[in-house]
Amino acid sequence: MSTTASSLEPLFTLVAQSYETLESTFYKIPGSAVIARYVKSSHRDDPGRTLLEVILIIFAIRTLLQSRTKAEASGKHFIEFSEKEIGELVDEWSPEPLAQPLNEAERAELDSVPVVVGPTGPKPKLANGKTVLNLASYNFAGLAGNQIIKERCIDILRRYGLGSCSPPGFYGSQDVQTQLEQDIADFLGTEDAILYSQAFSTISSVIPAFCKRGDIIVADRSVNFAIQKGLQISRCTVRWYDHNDMESLQHVLESVEKERIKKNWPLTRRFIVTEGIFEHDGVMSDLPKLIELKLKYKYRLILDESVSFGSVGRTGRGLTELYNVPVSQVDMLVGSVANGLTATGGFCAGSHIVVKHQRINGTSYVFSAAMPPLMTVAASEGISVLRNTPSILTTLQENIRVVRAILDKVDCITIPSHNASAVIHINVRTPSSTPAPAQLLSPTPLSPAIPATPLSPSSAKLSNPTSVRPRHPVQFDAELEERLLQDIVDDALAQGVLITRAKRLRDQELIGARPSIRLAISAAMSKKDCEKAANVIKTSCVKVLSRRR
Amino acid sequence: MPSRPSPMALQSSSPQPSIFRKKSTPAMSSAASYLSAVSEADARARAHGGTPSSTPALSLSSSVTTSSSDTVLDDPDAEFDDALSYPRNPPTSEQVFTTVHSEFGHCANEQYRFMSQHKPGTPYRSYPEQDPPHYILLTTYLSYLLVICLGHLRDFVGKRFRRSAYRHLLAHDGYAALNSDFDSFYTRRLKTRIDDCFSHPVTGVPGRTILLLDRYSPDYNVTMHPTGTRTRGLNISSYNYLGFAQARGGCADAVEACINRYGVSSCGTRLEGGSLDLHEQAEALVAKFVGQEDSMICSMGFATNSTVIPALVSKGSLVISDEFNHASIRFGVRVSGANVRTFKHNNMKSLENLLREVISQGQPKTHRPWKKILVIVEGLFSMEGTLANLPVIMELKKKYKFYLFVDEAHSIGALGPHGRGVADYFGINPRNIDILMGTFTKSFGAAGGYISGSKALIDGLRLRAHTGTYTEAMTPPVLMQVVASMASIMGISPAPSSNTAVQEVAELERHPGTAPMSLLPSWMPLSPAMVDGSDGQMRLRRIAFNSRYLNRGLRRLGFITYGCADSPVIPLLLFNPGKMAVFSRMMRTRAVPIVVVVVAYPATPLVTSRVRFCVSAAHTKEDMDMVLTACDEIGDLLDLKQGQGERWPLQEIIDRAVELVNMPEDS
Repeated sequence: MSTTASSLEPLFTLVAQSYETLESTFYKIPGSAVIARYVKSSHRDDPGRTLLEVILIIFAIRTLLQSRTKAEASGKHFIEFSEKEIGELVDEWSPEPLAQPLNEAERAELDSVPVVVGPTGPKPKLANGKTVLNLASYNFAGLAGNQIIKERCIDILRRYGLGSCSPPGFYGSQDVQTQLEQDIADFLGTEDAILYSQAFSTISSVIPAFCKRGDIIVADRSVNFAIQKGLQISRCTVRWYDHNDMESLQHVLESVEKERIKKNWPLTRRFIVTEGIFEHDGVMSDLPKLIELKLKYKYRLILDESVSFGSVGRTGRGLTELYNVPVSQVDMLVGSVANGLTATGGFCAGSHIVVKHQRINGTSYVFSAAMPPLMTVAASEGISVLRNTPSILTTLQENIRVVRAILDKVDCITIPSHNASAVIHINVRTPSSTPAPAQLLSPTPLSPAIPATPLSPSSAKLSNPTSVRPRHPVQFDAELEERLLQDIVDDALAQGVLITRAKRLRDQELIGARPSIRLAISAAMSKKDCEKAANVIKTSCVKVLSRRR
Repeated sequence: MPSRPSPMALQSSSPQPSIFRKKSTPAMSSAASYLSAVSEADARARAHGGTPSSTPALSLSSSVTTSSSDTVLDDPDAEFDDALSYPRNPPTSEQVFTTVHSEFGHCANEQYRFMSQHKPGTPYRSYPEQDPPHYILLTTYLSYLLVICLGHLRDFVGKRFRRSAYRHLLAHDGYAALNSDFDSFYTRRLKTRIDDCFSHPVTGVPGRTILLLDRYSPDYNVTMHPTGTRTRGLNISSYNYLGFAQARGGCADAVEACINRYGVSSCGTRLEGGSLDLHEQAEALVAKFVGQEDSMICSMGFATNSTVIPALVSKGSLVISDEFNHASIRFGVRVSGANVRTFKHNNMKSLENLLREVISQGQPKTHRPWKKILVIVEGLFSMEGTLANLPVIMELKKKYKFYLFVDEAHSIGALGPHGRGVADYFGINPRNIDILMGTFTKSFGAAGGYISGSKALIDGLRLRAHTGTYTEAMTPPVLMQVVASMASIMGISPAPSSNTAVQEVAELERHPGTAPMSLLPSWMPLSPAMVDGSDGQMRLRRIAFNSRYLNRGLRRLGFITYGCADSPVIPLLLFNPGKMAVFSRMMRTRAVPIVVVVVAYPATPLVTSRVRFCVSAAHTKEDMDMVLTACDEIGDLLDLKQGQGERWPLQEIIDRAVELVNMPEDS
C-alpha cells in the first residue's frame, strides 16, 4: 500500500504543482478574483447548480466540436461500408465521359458560324473573301470603326497600358473607369452608375446582390437568359406573369398581395424584373404602365435595357427617354455597354444607395478585374458621340423603317418585334389552316407534357404565377423551324447579306422561345444598303419557306 | 530611404532633364531618339551576334521605328523628384533598357534571376502554417468584439437620434429596406473604419509603380473627396506577374496596330456574328501555350468559370471543390445544379476520404452512382499563396477516375520554368489534366479568360456553354495583348518553308514549344526580343527570383507567411483587424510609398487578416529590398514578427539575397 503511494508520489506532486501554476496564472488575469469569488459563493449556496453548469459547459463544447460535414455522413441515408467494400465500389465505378464528340447537327451548327476577317462593321469581309452587308452585329449607332474613338483609345493605351490588372477594390479603379460611370449616370440622369466587365454577367450579379431568400420577384415569362440565371442564384420566391401582358402582371401582383396577407408574410423586398426591349423577340415593354403598377403595389423595378440602351429614344438613352418617364422611377436600370456603345461590359444605374450596395455585394464586380481602361474610354467617347449627334438615332430609326416596310409585307414570316426596335426577330409563320404536325406532340421543352397545376375555375384562363410555363403556350416545332431559318440565313449569305439565327441553349432556357432570325439594324448603313439587304432577306424567306409546302 | 533623383538612363550627360519632356522641340527629340536608336542598334548587334534564332525571314522592319520611340525613357507623368521613376544607380553604357523604369524596372544583374520549378521526386510542401501566440488570437477576438459592440451601440443611438441617416436601412412607406441594417452591419460598422485602404482611385499604368489619386475623408470614411494631388507608389498589389502592364514596348505596339486595323469591338457574341479571325488565331495560340488540343476564349475571367462550369456538370454529377476556391467557381457550380462537396484546403487526405465516401455512397438518398465527379482546384490560391498539390491529385485521379479542372487564374504565366503554370512547375503533362482554365488579366496584362482541353470537349463547350451564345466576344485590342504577350513568353519560330508537313506537325505538338509564325497575325509588329523569346525568359526568371527572395526574406525576418516559396502571391499574416489599416497606411505614407492590399474576413477566416503582396517581374531587387525594409520597420512597431525558424537581420538578408534564393528547400 505504502509502496504504491510512494511510487505515485511524483505524480501527485506534479498534479499539485500544475494546479498551483494554473491557479496563479488564473489570478494574474485581471478580474479573475471576482469570477473566483462568484463561483465559490454560488457553489457554497447551491452545489446542484454547479453540477448543472458543468454539464452545460461540456454540452456546449461538444456541440461546437461537432463538425457540420460529419452530420451528413451520419445521416439516416448513410450506409456503412468496410474499407474493402469501398475499394471494390471505387474500382467498379466508371464515370460518363466528360464530353461527347459533336454529332452531325452540332458540327454543322458550329461550322455555320460566320467568321469576320479584319474589322467588323456594316460591310465586313468574311473568311471566304466575300464582302457582305452586315445585319448581324450589334452596331446600332455605327460606332464600330469610329476614327475618333480609335485615336482616343491609342492615346489611353499609351498612358495606361491595356489591362487594369486588379479588381476595383484593390487598386483597379482607374480614374477613366470612374469617369465612364459618371458619364453613364449623367447621360441617363441617374445619381450614380456601376460598371461590370461583361454585359452578360451584369444582371446575373445585380439581382442576387439585392434579392435574397424570402424576397419576392415578379418576372416576365420571357426574360433573357442572364436574368434567368440571376433569379436562379438569388434563391428568392419568383412569380411569373405572361409575356409583356400588363393585365397578367397586375393579376399576379394582386395575388401575391393576397397570399402575403393570408399567410402573414413579413414585409420583404419585392421586385419586378423585366426587359426594356426583350432579347428574345424584340417586344417593347410598356414602361409607364409598369411604373404605375410598381408604385401602386410598392415594388421596385429592375429593368434590363441591354437591347434598348443606345438604340431607342431621341439620343439613345433608352426607354425612359422614349416614353419621357423620369429615370428615377426605375430603381435599377441595367444596360449593356457592349451592345449600346460597341465597347465591352455592362452597367447598373440608379441611386447612390443602389450603386454603393453593389460595390460590395455585386459578385462579378467584386471578384473580377476592372475593365481595361481603353475600353472604358471607348464607351465614354461613344456616349459623347450619341449626345452630340442626335441625327444618328434618327438615321437608325429610318433604317429600321426601311427594313420593316419590306419585311412586314412578307406573308410567310411574322415579326413580333416592336416597330422602333433596332433588333428585329423573324419567325416562321405557322400555317394556321393546317393542323399542327404530329411530331409537335413530342416532348419539346414547350410541349405541355407536364400538366399545369390545377387552378380555381375563376382564374382558369390565367396562367399559374408559380410556374414559368404559360397556360396556353404557343406551339411550334423548334427543330424544324431552326432548320428552315438556318436555310434562310445560308441563302441570304450566299447573296451577300450576313444575318444570324438567334442562338439559344434550348435545354437550359426556362421556356424555349420561338426560333427566330435576329437582325440588328445599324445607323452606319445607308438607306440603299438597308433596302437591298431587306430585299435579299425577303427573297430568301420566300424561296425557302415556299419550298417547304 | 534617400529619395535622390537620378539622371536619366541614356541622356545622363545632359544637364537639364526638363528638355526631354518637351517632345515638341523637333531638333531635340530627333537628336535624342537618334542617339538612343544608335545605342540600341549597337546593343542589339552585340546581343544577337551569335544567336541563330534571329532569322532574316521575319519581318522586323517595324521594330526599328517603334523601338526608337521606346528608348525615350521619359515618363510623361513622372515628377522628377519622385524616388521611383528613375533607377537609383544610373545604368552604364553597356546596359540598354527599352522599358520605362516606373513601369518595368531596370535590372541588369543576371544574378537576380531564378527558375521556378518543383524539384522532381520530392513531395510538394508549402510553408507549415504557424499559429501565432495565444495573446494575439485573444486580442484579435477582443478587438472584433469591441468594434461589434461599439457598432451596435452606435446603431442603437443613431436610430433614435439620427433617423434620417438610417432611413434607407429600415422599412418605410411600405417598402422593405433595400439593405437591412442587420445585413449591412459588417460593411457599415467594421469595413467603413478602414475604407481608406480599399478601392483607392488610381491612374496610369498599373506596372511596377502606380499613381494614386490622393483623397481625404472629412467624415470618417463615409465620403471620400479627391485632393487633386497624385502620389507615385511602389505597386506590390496588382496582378501584374510578368510585368506586361506596359504602355510602351512590343505588346503595346502590337495593340496599337490592332486598334488601327480592327477598331475596338467585334460587336456581338461568338455564335452570332462576333467571331473574328483574331479569335481563332488567339485560341490556337492559347492551346499551344498551355499544351492542350484546343481552347476557347471568354471575355471575362469571372465569367469563364461561371458560364462554362454549367456546361460541364449538371444534376446527377458531383463537384468536389477546395474550400478556398474562388467565388466564380462557386457561382458556376451553383448555376449548374450539380451537387457540391468541399474538402479542407489542399488537404489530400481529406480529399481522398471524401472521394471514398462519395463514390461508395453514390448520390444522396437514391444511392445511384454519380454520373461524373469533377474535382476543381486552383493552381495557385490567390489568398493563400499555396499551390494545388498536383502530383498527389494526379495519383488520386488515376485511382478514383474523377475529372480534374484546374483554375490557373493566378498560376498561368507566373509559375513554371516556361511560364506554363502549375503543371509546368511540377513537370506534369498538361494533357493529363482534363480541363485547364486560366485568365489573361494577371500575367498577360489583358482581360478575360480561357478554357482548354481536348478538341471534342472544347467544341462542345463552344456550343453548350453560355459563353458563345450569350456573352459578348472578346474585343480585338485585348485579343492582341494576349497574342503578343504569349508569343513573347514563348518566342516565335519562323514559318517552316522547307520542312516537311510531318516535322511541322511535330513542332506544333511539342510542348512547351515556341509560337509558330503561322498562328500569329501576319501584320503583327515584332520586336527582336519577342522573337527570340529573351524578353519572356527574362520576365520568367525575374519573377521567380523576386518571389522567392521576398518570400524567404520575410520568413527570415520573422514574419508568418503562408504558401509556397515560389509563389508570387505572398500573404503576410497580421491577425489583428486594427493592424490591417495601420499597416496599409504606414506603407502608403512612407517617404517612398508602397501600395499594398490588405484582406480580412469574409475573404479570409476571421482571425487570419493579412496583407497580400503580389510580386511582379517588373520589380527590381532594390524594390524587394525596399519592401523588406518597410516590413521590418513596421513589423517591429506592430509586433508582427511572431514566426518561428531561423532569423537573419535585415542587412544580412539584403546582402545575401542571391544565396538566400538559391538555398535548397528548408523548413
